Amino acid sequence: MTKITRRTFNGILGGVGAAAALGVTGCANVGGGGRPHVVVVGGGFGGATAAKYIRRRDPSVQVTLIEPSETYYTCPFSNTVIAGINRINFIAQKYNKLADKYDINVIHDRVEAIDPAKRTLVTAGGTSMSYDRMVMSPGISFKWGAIDGYDEAAAERMPHAWNAGQQTELLRKQLAAMDDGGTVLICPPKNPFRCPPGPYERASLIAYYLKRNKPRSKVLILDPKDAFAKQGLFVEGWDKMYADLIEWVPAAKDGTIASVSAADMTVESELGEVHKGDVINVIPPQQAGAIAVRTGLTDGSGFCPVDQMTFESTIHPGIHVIGDASIASPMPKSGYSANSQGKAVAAAVVAMLKGQAVPTPGFMNTCYSLLAPDYGISVAAIYRMDGNKIAGVKGAGGVSPTGAQYQFRKKEADFAEGWYASIAQDSWA
Amino acid sequence: MKGRTRSLGLLAAIAFTVAPAAVHAADDISVIVDACAGCHGTDARSPGEMPGFSDKTAEKIAKVMLEYKSGEKEATIMDRVVKGYSEAQLQAIAEEFAARNSR
Repeated sequence: MTKITRRTFNGILGGVGAAAALGVTGCANVGGGGRPHVVVVGGGFGGATAAKYIRRRDPSVQVTLIEPSETYYTCPFSNTVIAGINRINFIAQKYNKLADKYDINVIHDRVEAIDPAKRTLVTAGGTSMSYDRMVMSPGISFKWGAIDGYDEAAAERMPHAWNAGQQTELLRKQLAAMDDGGTVLICPPKNPFRCPPGPYERASLIAYYLKRNKPRSKVLILDPKDAFAKQGLFVEGWDKMYADLIEWVPAAKDGTIASVSAADMTVESELGEVHKGDVINVIPPQQAGAIAVRTGLTDGSGFCPVDQMTFESTIHPGIHVIGDASIASPMPKSGYSANSQGKAVAAAVVAMLKGQAVPTPGFMNTCYSLLAPDYGISVAAIYRMDGNKIAGVKGAGGVSPTGAQYQFRKKEADFAEGWYASIAQDSWA
Repeated sequence: MKGRTRSLGLLAAIAFTVAPAAVHAADDISVIVDACAGCHGTDARSPGEMPGFSDKTAEKIAKVMLEYKSGEKEATIMDRVVKGYSEAQLQAIAEEFAARNSR
């Protein structure tokens, strides 16, 4: 494949005319009037949003988005696919609008290596390029082997379905093929992990499916935690709808899984209790996406320390890490957090390229979970900067009320679907 | 500070005509407004069940948010969201939405 240097790259994509016309001067790191170039690595909620919002904020900045998949399957609403409520196409997102409407150079390739000092990268397909700033939104990768016996091969029998797509379909098909009276095991990880309420929404929607199709079956959640996100609301809904179907085993009752056997379709607890499952969903411990680990952007936690104002890596300047891979606590690892961070990082990157002061960002997270297609619950949080740390605004946000009437839950379920339509448009269109 | 936040909203609304340095100095209302788009769609052009308000004036948008804040208007989630902002910030947010929509 042709090697593209930045010089020729800029030439291909339109030169310096636009920057001059807009009166932009003094672009940092770009000598002699070339347009600044931002490379966005990863086209999920964080990366797609960052690419779009950089172009919205400053059309003089060239943006290249590098994402391996031509179709991106979102984790939000993937549990409805597993439960047979929506088809897989419902969660499919494409990149043509980012390319056409925002003039983003979308490359479907995998970033192989990055040189943070030279600000260059090379892809698996052999393309190399340089960047003035990079936004990396690589999502998560799995700590294979952290649970004894759970490796990539085991994940083909015991799907994690914690990256959506083929794994989502695999879990859906296993559930559809299961006999009535079967047991579904769900094994969530310890904190922190992607989408804290996700395993419990999954348990709910699988129970929804089983109640209608295989009512003698059971969902057993084997949890290494003693508490989980939106717990009060989930338990209230389970008591109402799935009392005989869902059982949650916390860490205090030996819920922590030490090992699995894909051949026997069993999992073994820390104290040695063996559970047999007909469908087993192991959601393993996680770390930042592979390219972040390979580039040395992670610390001992497996995630990426950043300046929370700019999301610039504290390890490698010039690379801004957002989304699930970054350490943005108290923000949770969610699609909405990544989308919100994508906008803040867009503002920061545009300012930094111009040598201007970085605007003080504000952030938000809203997250809906479905317990049934007509039963939704939510959590919201507002974040602002406290010095250079992100802090939740006290007295704001929080979860849906417990004890609400049917109409309230139904309305939140409708808003959950509206949320998906909006955030998909806001990120990819 | 309250008055300042409000004037920043106005400044952000005309960002493309003024020296950028003036807007990018402090709390940026435009980033806060961008954050709303995750639920309401880019520039409040909601494609689905969420309320969109891309055709509404700043007065109307501010009125609804302030009613959520006072509890006068019932909500499923916006009552929890508006608590994160001062009245002056809500006013500035409304002005920024309306300014974008009139472009």
